[in-house]
Amino acid sequence: MTGRKAKKHSAFLWHRRAGLVAIVLVVILATTGIALNHTESLKLDQRYVDSSLLLGWYGLEPEGETISYDVGEHVITVLDHQVFFNSYPITTTEQSFHGAVNTGQLIVLAFDSELVLLTTDGEFVERMPTGQGFAEIRRIGIKYQRPVVETTDLVYLIADEHILDWDLITDDGIAWAQPLILDDTRMAVLLESFRGRGLTLERLILDLHSGRIFGAYGIYVMDAAAIALLWLSGSGLWVWRRRQLQQKRKRHYQKHHRDNANPQALPRSPLP
Amino acid sequence: MNRFLQLFVLTFFSTRVLAGGVYQEPDAFIAEVFADQPPKASVIWPSTELKDQMKTVLGHNYKSLRIRYWQKADRTAWILEEIGKDKPITTGFVTNQGKLETVRVLIFRESRGWEVRHAFFTDQFENASLITDFELDRNIDNITGATLSVRAVSKLARVALLLDKAVSAKKAGT
Repeated sequence: MTGRKAKKHSAFLWHRRAGLVAIVLVVILATTGIALNHTESLKLDQRYVDSSLLLGWYGLEPEGETISYDVGEHVITVLDHQVFFNSYPITTTEQSFHGAVNTGQLIVLAFDSELVLLTTDGEFVERMPTGQGFAEIRRIGIKYQRPVVETTDLVYLIADEHILDWDLITDDGIAWAQPLILDDTRMAVLLESFRGRGLTLERLILDLHSGRIFGAYGIYVMDAAAIALLWLSGSGLWVWRRRQLQQKRKRHYQKHHRDNANPQALPRSPLP
Repeated sequence: MNRFLQLFVLTFFSTRVLAGGVYQEPDAFIAEVFADQPPKASVIWPSTELKDQMKTVLGHNYKSLRIRYWQKADRTAWILEEIGKDKPITTGFVTNQGKLETVRVLIFRESRGWEVRHAFFTDQFENASLITDFELDRNIDNITGATLSVRAVSKLARVALLLDKAVSAKKAGT
């Protein structure tokens, strides 16, 4: 027992609490700040993050499986709702991809209830909903250079040359589109296209510094850390000044009042 | 208190229900326009000149290289799409001899601006035609809170009339 009681709202107590709360954020602020000051020498803008976790956090990591179909000289791929002609993004879709065929004039992509038409150079032509009375598409093939679809009610329909009308046919001599497994090189090119230029280390550190990496509220957390730093500087000054005054008072007390206050504390001078 | 809560919930959710969605399937619109005897669809591949005109109206290239239409006598039905804010608004148009006969919002995918589906807005286009600079011959009143949707549908109306003109010229030429 020291006999000292901590004052509930003393500046020192709050100084200590603010320091403990802000410590992690201040470390982040300080280290990222130093790194950002040396972006060029550290080549932060030329170094890319390859962590799946971080890329996923930034929405740069594709979700779901990659489905590709060979259409002659080109490959059509659907990756995380994005439709690619080779590695060029063409359009997006919310539906399942069931294949693609090249009729010679157009490339026809089949989804659950719509077809997407591209030119043979990959230019977007039209998105065609299959319409009412047309069950969902299960797969697509080609016959007489015209697209054929198999629907979920096992009906086979062949399109006219403009792909505007459909006629019933039998399941004979149809070359069904076959899925393709992309090799590592093609997959890497596709992923690069999906992610754009990717996530630079500079972007990551900048977002850490501003708090944006933690989402919409992250900046407020970093604001709080900055306010805590301001508080710490103020309360530190306050605590230092108070201690200085206490020391001064103590020295004054020891010099002028010690003997009167505690007569037995020191031996009396032998001199009269 | 309970009654107030019920009223609040009903008001809130009824607004949500009324907002975006499929109001009419495009097929159903075409069937209705032609009294359940729709003609076969035709396609127009806009010429460079027409593409430029559409670009002037829309401020960007129209998203498709070819556009389908359904024509019987002088009436032509079009299903066109344009983005209001983020997502496309699918709108059906019927043109007749260079004038708009019907405008109907078929699919609205955005969370705001769905008021353009109402007749008080679409009726403004009845008999509208194009004047110089591909403008409509009348002012279309805005709807507060649906400015972008109003703008998108108005632009599509002008595009429908441009397409109608092109198809009529093609028909007259053949």
